[in-house]
Amino acid sequence: MEGRSPWYFAYRRLRSNRVAITALALFAAIVVFVLAAPLWADWVAETGPNETHTVEKIEVGGETREVVEVDGTPIGPVWLGAGGKFFLGADGRLGRDEMVRLMYGGRTTLLIGIGSALISVGLAVLLALLAGYHRGWVDTVISRALDLLWAFPVLLLAIALGSSLAVGGLDLGPISISGGSLWVPILVISLVYTTYIARPLRGEVLALREREFVEAAIAGGAGPLRVMFGELLPNLWSKIIVFFPLAAAFNMLLESALSFVGAGVQPPNSSWGTMISAGFQLLYTAPLLTILPGAMITLTALSLNLLGDALRDALDPKSKVELEAHTGSFEPEGEVL
Amino acid sequence: MKKLSPVLAVVVLAVLALSFSACGSSSGDEGSKGGTLKVSFAGFPDYLDPQISYTAEGWSAMYNTYIPLLTYAHAEGTEGSEVIPGLAEDLPEKSNGGKTYELTLVDGLKYSDGTPVRASDYKATVERLFEMESPASPFFSDIVGAEDFLEGKADGIAGIETDDKTGRITIDLNNPRGSFESELAMPFTAPVPADTPAKPQTASPPPATGPYEIVESRPGRGWSYERNPQWEKNNADLLPDLPGGHVDRIEATVVSNQSTQVNDVEQGKTNWMFDPLPADRVAAVKQKYEGKQLRVVPSISTYFFFLNTARPPFDDLKVRQAVNHAIDPAAIERIYAGEITGSQQVLPPGMPGYEKFELYPFDMKKAEERIAEANPSDREITVWTNSLSPNDEASEYYEGVLRDLGFDVTLKVINPDNYFSLIGNTSTPDLDTGWLNWFEDYPHPNDFFQPLLSGESIASTFNTNIAQFDDPEINAKIAELSEQELTPEVEGEYAELDREVMEQAPWAPFGSRSLTLFVSSDVDFDEVIWNPTFSGDLTSFQFK
Repeated sequence: MEGRSPWYFAYRRLRSNRVAITALALFAAIVVFVLAAPLWADWVAETGPNETHTVEKIEVGGETREVVEVDGTPIGPVWLGAGGKFFLGADGRLGRDEMVRLMYGGRTTLLIGIGSALISVGLAVLLALLAGYHRGWVDTVISRALDLLWAFPVLLLAIALGSSLAVGGLDLGPISISGGSLWVPILVISLVYTTYIARPLRGEVLALREREFVEAAIAGGAGPLRVMFGELLPNLWSKIIVFFPLAAAFNMLLESALSFVGAGVQPPNSSWGTMISAGFQLLYTAPLLTILPGAMITLTALSLNLLGDALRDALDPKSKVELEAHTGSFEPEGEVL
Repeated sequence: MKKLSPVLAVVVLAVLALSFSACGSSSGDEGSKGGTLKVSFAGFPDYLDPQISYTAEGWSAMYNTYIPLLTYAHAEGTEGSEVIPGLAEDLPEKSNGGKTYELTLVDGLKYSDGTPVRASDYKATVERLFEMESPASPFFSDIVGAEDFLEGKADGIAGIETDDKTGRITIDLNNPRGSFESELAMPFTAPVPADTPAKPQTASPPPATGPYEIVESRPGRGWSYERNPQWEKNNADLLPDLPGGHVDRIEATVVSNQSTQVNDVEQGKTNWMFDPLPADRVAAVKQKYEGKQLRVVPSISTYFFFLNTARPPFDDLKVRQAVNHAIDPAAIERIYAGEITGSQQVLPPGMPGYEKFELYPFDMKKAEERIAEANPSDREITVWTNSLSPNDEASEYYEGVLRDLGFDVTLKVINPDNYFSLIGNTSTPDLDTGWLNWFEDYPHPNDFFQPLLSGESIASTFNTNIAQFDDPEINAKIAELSEQELTPEVEGEYAELDREVMEQAPWAPFGSRSLTLFVSSDVDFDEVIWNPTFSGDLTSFQFK
């Protein structure tokens, strides 16, 4: 009988999970939506995400309408009444196209969510391997540093870092990042979130370190790098794959929260978080400006969370209980929301 | 025994009641007493320290706690700009060609902690102002010996003599100063105890002389007042022209979202919101509450974008003129929801010396031509703004305008609590241009020129000349006019100065804003005083 790899069985389990497929399809649709931003902006809306149209007028079904009334009221959704321009209306008194900003804002939010998830997962794996393999003082230093970060409320730490870096930027030797750069929220989120992944992974590495295959590799003359990256890392992949979408979803929520309080993406650039913040000022007259980016964040986070759960079930169904205990650290989502 | 007729009894009782109510009460204190007034501010004041606070929030917060020797009448409109005696017995006696001012401190006054107010406290207060490099320093640097004190060459300011026994305070100036009486009435020289440290006291404000004292300060979040125990016991009778207030306690809270401020007032959770209505709520709130709980009040203010003349590219006049041509007043009007009246000059309507002119009508083509002529090599610009709506949106619009002119622009949005401290620090990096406004401190055009546009006002911290505009001819004219009493001729010269400054375009002014007074339904709306300098007068608030 032909042998099958664990990845094959995982793939089969994932494929038979309807919720997972739906979540994946939803996430893919969202990605396509935001990637299409330049096409919509250039060919349909004929405007950029930051272009203002405060004093302009448009033709809607043969009627000339102001994009922004003299009293500051922005035009609402005109759908296809103006050939796709201002499909979802204007974003406020600056008269920017809401649809275009929603699409470009999604690119920013996804970029920050996925980018910071990559960095935080990468950093967490490295720290977990170092701490778990070497143990002793290396483990003590790394673990206490992670404890220190863990001790801060994640949102407050992120706001403090984001606010100061948004004004002064980061100038650290050869690294120079301006305050308005997207790297600021990416790095801040990566830093504060690393500990939430590194701690459970470190526990996993400590357990794996005691296993026979590791002892055999060491006895066979394998050096630390070989053991860490050749023996231990492959055994972490299933957990890393599970962590990744969950981290991306959490990071997107954190980005939105940071941008909402002005410590994330800096204007005039849009993200779904900045759009909620801007729309909040017009909540009573134009609630859609808050609801739309809010709904997009909800759908994206939901799809990634469902996908993460499905990946966990598919890759290591026996570890469900164990992983739930680990991912208990994802509770801050509630705090962010 | 003869009985009193009912009519006579009513008359006697009414007379008795009126007599009792007048006892121990200052003018303007009739009406209901007691209760806790809750007010909201979108940002915490720059400081709760009278010597260094220079924001509308700070002045409004301290109008009734720290009383200067002279103060402004607790009234609306032009009456509210009238200088009246504060802790001084009378207005100053001027002599020596307008260079010597003599005042007498009212005898027997006490701070809220019970210590007596002494004439020497005044001198210590002015010295404290200089020691802290207060933004008010330029107003008082004409006092004899002030410069020496500031430079550390003297232990005290020689030009202020005080006598604690008689309460006599004599101030000698190097030159006559036409606006000095008005400047004495600003909160900057309101006496505080002589031993008050020369450090910002926001977290623990000094004891008060006015009807209210600040009993709790939570920087960034709020502060609370209670009645000054020494007011009723002591100061009220000595200062009968100052109102004593109606409510017993005032709680000020920072609510950064102005829409939430509106909701809180509508629901009676807050009794007054300090800030104007957010632009998107103006129309609906006006329709529902105007005349009952809402009043639109004109302000004597100038809203503008400062252009840092000390740094490229705005050290080039053509670039500054281009920016002025590129701002569309119609766009600004919409961004401020129709609450701004377009203007392109330093002096706002309502200020003596204002004469309308328009040097830079909106003309994008002309703006682009000016930029092409200047061809600035430095095209990287940082635009600064605070996060209060719609100032942030006006700055986003401005950022777009600069981008259209070919600049590479970064927008920095700062919390309003720190904004003025940050842009008032000349070492702040990339301080190129940004949003700013200025409300009158006193009804004299010097208030718009000396602190904001005189080279002498440029300071490393608490800088008020944010454009760092330093033109020797303009400086000389500002100094010369500041020495003169305000006559129609002098007003004409200020109008000319306004034009000369705008020919140099250190700012891109865009208008004067109307403000709003919005109170909850349980506040006696008709009795609330909106002072043109201090906004809502906390002593005038009372419950129905």
